[in-house]
Parts: sequence; structure tokens; C-alpha cells
Amino acid sequence: MSATSQIGTRTSTGGVRRASALGPGLAVLFVALALVGFLSVTLGSRAIGVSEVLHALVNFDSDGPISSTVTLEMRVPRTLLGILVGAALGVAGAILQGVTRNPLADAGILGINSGAAAFVVFAITVLGVRGIGVYVWFAFAGAIAALALVYAVASLGREGATPVKLALAGAAVTAGLVSVTSGIVMTNVDALNELRFWQVGSLAGRYTPILTGVAPFLLLGLAASLGFGRAINGLALGEDVARGLGQNVVRTRAAAFAVVAVLAGAATAACGPIVFVGLVVPHLARFICGPDYRWILPYSMLLAPIVLLLADVLGRVVAAPDELQVGVVLGLMGAPAFIAIVRYGRLSEV
Amino acid sequence: MQKWRPVLAVAALSVALGTLTACGNDTGTGDTAAAAASGPWSFTDGSGQVVKADKKPTRIIAHAGEAAALLSFGIKPVGVYADEPVKTDPNLKNLDLAGIEILGEEWGKIDVEKAAALRPDLIVGDWWPAEKAHSGMEEGVDEKSKKLADLAPVVGVAQGKSIVALAEGYEDLAESLGADVNSPQIAANKKRFEQAVETFKAATASKPGLTVAAMSPSTEKVYVANPEYAPELLDLQTWGLKVINPASPDPAFPYWENLSWENADTYQPDLILFDGRSFTPTANAEWGTKQPTWFKIKAAKAGAAVSWPAFWLHTYADFATELDKLTQAVKAADPNVGN
Amino acid sequence: MTTTTTSDLRSATSGTAAALRANRRRRAGRSILVTCALTVAVAALFVFTMMVGSFRIGAGEVIASVLHLSDNPSVDFVVRGLRLPTAAAALTVGLALGASGTIFQQVLRNPLASPDFVGITSGAGLAAAAGIVLLQAGGLVVSGLALGGAILAALAMYLLAWRDGVTGYRFILIGIGVAAFFEGLIGYVLSRAQLFEARQAMHWLIGSVGQASTTELLLLTGALVVLLPVAVLLQRPLGALDLGDDTARTLGARAELSRAGLLGTAVVLVALAVSVAGPIAFVALVAGPIANRLLGPAARGVLPAALVGAGLLLTADLVAVHLLPTPLPTGVVTGAVGAPYLLWLLATTNRQGAGG
Repeated sequence: MSATSQIGTRTSTGGVRRASALGPGLAVLFVALALVGFLSVTLGSRAIGVSEVLHALVNFDSDGPISSTVTLEMRVPRTLLGILVGAALGVAGAILQGVTRNPLADAGILGINSGAAAFVVFAITVLGVRGIGVYVWFAFAGAIAALALVYAVASLGREGATPVKLALAGAAVTAGLVSVTSGIVMTNVDALNELRFWQVGSLAGRYTPILTGVAPFLLLGLAASLGFGRAINGLALGEDVARGLGQNVVRTRAAAFAVVAVLAGAATAACGPIVFVGLVVPHLARFICGPDYRWILPYSMLLAPIVLLLADVLGRVVAAPDELQVGVVLGLMGAPAFIAIVRYGRLSEV
Repeated sequence: MQKWRPVLAVAALSVALGTLTACGNDTGTGDTAAAAASGPWSFTDGSGQVVKADKKPTRIIAHAGEAAALLSFGIKPVGVYADEPVKTDPNLKNLDLAGIEILGEEWGKIDVEKAAALRPDLIVGDWWPAEKAHSGMEEGVDEKSKKLADLAPVVGVAQGKSIVALAEGYEDLAESLGADVNSPQIAANKKRFEQAVETFKAATASKPGLTVAAMSPSTEKVYVANPEYAPELLDLQTWGLKVINPASPDPAFPYWENLSWENADTYQPDLILFDGRSFTPTANAEWGTKQPTWFKIKAAKAGAAVSWPAFWLHTYADFATELDKLTQAVKAADPNVGN
Repeated sequence: MTTTTTSDLRSATSGTAAALRANRRRRAGRSILVTCALTVAVAALFVFTMMVGSFRIGAGEVIASVLHLSDNPSVDFVVRGLRLPTAAAALTVGLALGASGTIFQQVLRNPLASPDFVGITSGAGLAAAAGIVLLQAGGLVVSGLALGGAILAALAMYLLAWRDGVTGYRFILIGIGVAAFFEGLIGYVLSRAQLFEARQAMHWLIGSVGQASTTELLLLTGALVVLLPVAVLLQRPLGALDLGDDTARTLGARAELSRAGLLGTAVVLVALAVSVAGPIAFVALVAGPIANRLLGPAARGVLPAALVGAGLLLTADLVAVHLLPTPLPTGVVTGAVGAPYLLWLLATTNRQGAGG
């Protein structure tokens, strides 16, 4: 009881002091995102002048010179996809970390990546499907199936899906699926080749069809997620406290997981597993706005696409005329960030 | 129990023989007295070592493409091992393998026990100079697979700068193994190949301005092959085809230059040699719809794309067939499409 | 878990000395019996794996050939040349995984705290894959890297999760996070590879007892000969650890030191096992619990768990190589069988309300 009130006062005083700064902060982030988005349209592995980009955007003629094609058919959908996927991963990571009270929670830990990979391999080897445009839906289905299985196993029993059971079930499902997937892939060179490139998240090569395919799911999930702040605040204090506050813990958790499944599933399906954004950005958001999820969620939603797009632009510029996949860039950036979180973050408090 | 015993006894004999010849090799080729005594069959392996045996080997186990090469000269191996299922292996999928034991259909895994039961007296696998190993016994394979080399001496032609040299190497090997390479049926393949080369040369000579690039599109990038590391492309270059050498191949993996899709139009050949491993008659059009910049390669837009037999050819017949397709494409190509 | 420890505590404090002694003698008897039975079973499996294959060879001939009692070159080639290395790898890797798994579980007092779950095997996997792909390494270098990776991962876990001792679920949560992080990096490493190296790395990452080379095998065998007795000796006085951290702490710093020593032993064993056969899933996790079930309540032993591990791996390899239509790496079988087992375990402990 005393612990609860302590935390309560801490949040509320922090909240009072910060709320005035956090609102405008969101506006600043929004402008920053717009700027980064503009960077992402103007910079790339092909040098295109700003005037040409503007010309393409104004005339909207994708059949014209190649600079117009690249701008309109490649960079604009890529940027939009990056914004949506980044936002989805950031929010999904924040929700998971709050709901499971696990600072290292990430969609990958709950088996989403291995489920998606298993379905992709199935599509390639059994159904002979080739090309990202088709297997994006298998990946989506696999991600959701894996998460559903993890959640179902973890929520058997009296106390429901506790953080530890979720993590363990996720690890078990991942280990099993990875064994089977890699066993199949070893005997099928084509599948190995498709899989190992899919396995590194990337925004390249996904254009308007994939964007329009996953956008409805991502937008819906993002809209739904914003209503969860208050409920997660309760859960993050511990189940007993949440229950004491009059929450239906089981229902909240199930709803939160459904949202995460849609967000992370669609994002993973579209771009392959991109792990670090969902892990690192919520910590960044928490660092800025304190423990209140009503702020953490929108901050994650704006910070994550900024991080993702910056990493993507970096990968496009440094290796021209080649490109580094955004997953590789994030991997290089994410390793130190990960160590910093664990070392200096508030791990001990979770 | 009784059944396999004599079989194994002979297998063991060949093991002993294998170690004997290995010892002979160790003493070096300078020891002419020993070399003369060691028997009537010998072959210079791709590694430069001379492998000798008392009698001509007849029970041969060969790696996929090498087996195809031997078969084309009428030498039938007793067993083959491949890196993928023999139904999909480009060298084996059209061959009649009846009566040949399949010893492996996955890279790194060879059933050496089964191989021992075949009592091989020769193993045939390409020699890879960069890895200093024969096919199937490279670094990273199952430790057990490497024991294949204990059953019998291993020989192979070095993978290098030319498919013609590779095919000729296997012709020499087959001849040393008793193939009648001049018999009309077998020689026909070579004749057909030589003819194919002549018509190909004529076709390229008639279009001196024609340039080609060997490309392999993928979801995230376009790969442009570096002929330096593709023996069949080097052959095509010697026969007058202007295969573009990419300007900056990936330093870590110089087989290719990687182009982001934004830069897909970097090279403007008149004809695209499209990676045969993913080529289908509709592939070019499909990439045009999938990637906004594929048709910014003018040759792609004009539909000037032909399958390129990437990294597998071993026989005159296969090369002749592929060469004829290329000749057709060269004849049909418009040398003014690209830049 | 908590219920057993508290009941242990209660019986330990309330029982008379005589009852304790009788109880201990009874347990020791059962423990010896079970250990002997397991030894016989593992030895039988060990010989049996060398009997089957393309040729069936009699048990007598196998034993004679292995012990160099007979001189039949054909049998020797098949038995000593082809089958013995694989069988020996399965045996030693299984022993090492079983021992290290149960040590982790006992010291951390958590049935799910096996090295394959807390990121140590993934650390080894990452180092090895990076070596294969980025340094074009092979053979002993890959093993060395795997060893280094496992030790680094263990050290990292120790530093990250150390807070008044490495206990409880916090350690596991962090471990699973670290493991997932490494898996992500492995994915990136693989995509940087050419197809050939990717295949080699993949082959290594699934884990197979068939890939062991003689030098690595000898190294692991030597380590087992030294470390297994050390582990048994260190573990014996630590029965008190089961009583919980507070009780153990009152026993002083000696216990803390023994725990660290035990964990160190376990890390070296698992690292060497991974370097021989790659990261084979689930054997380390289940060997301990199975051994405990055989031994009866509250009895713990490193040796029986090691033997169970060896038995499991020998069986898995038999299934992977001989019973399946196409031979598969051992790790595929342990993974495909182990994952549903673990899920079932989670589901049933949940129903009893004892999980988490």
C-alpha cells in the first residue's frame, strides 16, 4: 500500500511538472519526423538533386525521367512504410514492456519472428511461392499464429499470462520453430537464400502494393494502441495493484496482445524482423517522459520512425551505389544502445 | 552379417590402396623410380599432384557436375553425391541415373558407409583452388564426409577461368579411364560444341557494338556479375562477346557488384544475360512490374534478356545447348538499345 | 519449486538427527542404483549406435574394434573411422550438456535456467557464425570462437543480472532477452555471407554431433574427465543451497564461492559441448528434471543428469540419422521434440498453479 502511494505521488508530481513540457515536445517530434521524412525522400543511394525531387513531387509524373520514378515510386512509399512500420514497432515494444513488465520484451521474444519465418519457409518450399509480395501474407499469418500460441500456452492456469511464462513460452516456441525451419532450409538452397535475406529487416524493394496492403492494419493498430496508456500504467505497477485499481487484468492483457499481434505482425511481414527499434525506443521514451504510458506510447510512436528512417537513410548513403539493409545499420547502432540500457537503465526497477 | 563381410573386405582393400597412393604422392613427383613402379594409370589432379594407381579405376564415385561430365563420355560412376536433390541439380536433373547410387543430396553430407560398400577405386570432384579442397570435402562439411577421401584417391579438374578448360579436363580424365572419346557418338557432343562456338563467334563478330551484362535481380538489390569470377563469362568474352565488367564489385564478395534498385540503370547493355537459376520466360516482364526501375534498363524494357547458365556447366553438350540459346539472343539483339 | 524448498526447510529443521541419517542412507542407495542403471543404459546405447548403419555390425565386433582387440580393417574403418567419432561426440556432448544444465538449474534454483535459455549457447553461436562468415574461419578456430562467445555471454549475463546473487526469474528474463538479441545478430551475420558460407554457418548453427573433429572431441573428453569429478565434489556440500538464498548466505562465503566455481565449471562444459556439436537445443534443459524424477524427491546429482543427457543425445542422433527418411542434423530432432515438451511442461505446471 505504501509502495503504491509512493509510486503514485511520484508519477503525479512528475506528471504535473512535465505535462506542460511534454505536449509541445510531441509537436517538436512531429516536426522532426517530417524533416527526417523529407531527408528520406531526398537522400539515397542515387544522387538526385533537391530541385529534381521537388519537380517530381509537384509534377507527379512517375513515367518521366528516372529521378521521378525513383522519387515517386520508390522513395515516397519506402518513407511512408518506414514511418508506419517504425511507429508500429515502437508502440508494440512499449506496450509489451509495460504489460509484461520485462524491460527486454520485444515482439521477437514472443516468437513473432520465428513464426513468420516458419510460414515464409513453408510458402517457399511447399507452395513454391517466390517474392516478397506474396509471402508477406504468410509472414503475417505466421507471426499472429506464433504469438497466439505463445499467449495461449502462457495463459493456461490460474494467474494467466505472467511475464515469465510469456517469455518462456516465447522462447520454447521460437526454439522449436527455428529447429524445424533451419532443418528444412538446409536441404533447400532456394529457401535458404530467400530466408536469410528476409531475416534481415529491410525497407528496400517494398513499394506501393506492400504499403497499401499493410497500411490499414498498421493504422488501425496504432489508433487502437493510444487508448491503452491508462490501462498499462495500472498493469505496470503489478497485477495486484492493477486489480486493486479495479482493472480486469486478463481482459486488458488479452486486448493489448491483440493490438501487438496486429502491429508487430504486419510490420514484420512487410519488412522482415527489425528487432532493435521495438526494444530501444520505448526506453528512450521512458527516459524523456517518465513512467506514464499515456505519454510513453505517443512518444514511442514518433521517436521510433525517426530512428528507423535515420538508420535507413544512413544505410542508403554510406554504401552507394549499394545499400545496407536497415536491419544491419540498426544492429550496429543497437548493440551499444542495448548495453547502455541494461547497464544504466532502470532494469532493477522492473 | 555374412553378406556384407566380403564386400567390406574389398572395401578395406581399396582403403589400403588409397593410403598407399597417398604415400606415393607425399614422396613427391621427383621420385621417378617409384612413379614408374606404381602402375599404368595416373592423372594430374587440379591441385597439381599426380595421382597414380596400379590399374585403371573402374568403380568411380563422383560429385554432381563431375558425374555428368563422366557420363557424357560414357563413363558411368557407381555413385554420385550432390549438394541438392538430384531432381533439381542442374547437371543431373535431365540424366538417367538408374543404377547409380545416390550418396548425398545435401551439401556437407555424404553417406560414406554406403560409399564404402560400393568399393570405389576413384573419387572425382572439382578442385577449388581458393579453398584448397575437392567438392564435397570443403571446410565446414560433416567430419564424416571428409572420410570419403580415405576410400580411394580423389582427383578433379581445377575450377578456374574457363568452362572449356574444365570440360577438356574431364575429357582427359575420361580418356585416361578408358573412354573412347573419339567414338562418333561421344565426339558428336564435342563437334556440336565446336560448331556452337563457331556460330557464336560469327554472331558476335557481326555485331561488334553489342554489349551485354550478366545480371541477377532480387527483392532488395540488382546484382551484376563480375566475369572475372565466372568462368563461362570469361569464355564468352574470349569468343568476342563484350560482357561488361562492373566498375566496383563488392570487396567482400567480388563475384558481384551490388546495385541498389535506385541505381539499377547504372549499366545500359544491349542484352541482359539473366541469371539462369531464376530465369523463366516471363521473369523479365515480372521484374518490370515488381521493380519500378527494372525497365529503366533499356534492354529489359525491350525484352532483350536471355538465360545465363551461371556457375554449373561441366559438359560440352550442356555448354553447346546454352551457347546456341545465347547465339540466338545475340542475333536477335539490337546493338543500339543500350548506351 | 518454492513449495519443495520450504518443505525441505521444515523437515530439515524439525526432523531428528537419526531420521535424517536413515533418510540420507536410503536416498544414497537409490541414487547409486539409478546411476548404475543409467550407466549401463548409456553404454548399451553407445554400442548400439555403432552397430546400425548401412551395415549391421555385431555388438561383440564393435566392442572389440573400439578397444583395438581385433584386427579387421573393414570393420575398423566403419566402426573406428566413421561411427566412433559420432557416437563419442554424442556421448561426451550429452554428458557435458546434461551436467551443465543441471548445475545451472540447481545453482540458480530454477528448473528453466538452462544455458540454452539464458543466452550462453546463443553467444557461442553468434561468435562461431561471425567467425565462419566474416573471418572465413573453420575447424578449431570456430570451436575456439564458440568457446570464447559462450564465456563472454556468461560473463555478460553475470554482470548484467548480478544483484545480490544471480537468482530468480529476473536472471531468466534478462537471459532470454540476451539470447534474442544474439539471435538477431546471427541473422544479420548470415545475410552478409555468400551462399556457401551461409550454408556452412547454418549447418553449424543447427547443431549436429556428426560435425565434430577429433581435436575438438579430445578437448571435450579431457575437460569432462577433469571437470565432471570437480563438479560432483563442489556440488555435494551445496545441498544446503536448496534451502534458499537466506539460509545459504548464513553458511558463509564458502558456499558463494562454491556456487561461482560450479557455474564456472558448467559454463566451460557447455561451451566445449557447443564448440564440438553446435548449439543443440533442449538437452541441457530436460536432462536435469528427468534425472531428478528418476532419483526421487529432493535428490540431486550431477552425474545422473549427465548420463541422462548422454542417453538423450545418443537417442536423438539415432532418430535423426537412421529413423527419418532423410538424415537430419541432431539439433533438428531435439528442437522439434523438446519444444512441444517444454510447452506441455509450462501448460501442466500452470494448471497446478505452480508456474511462474
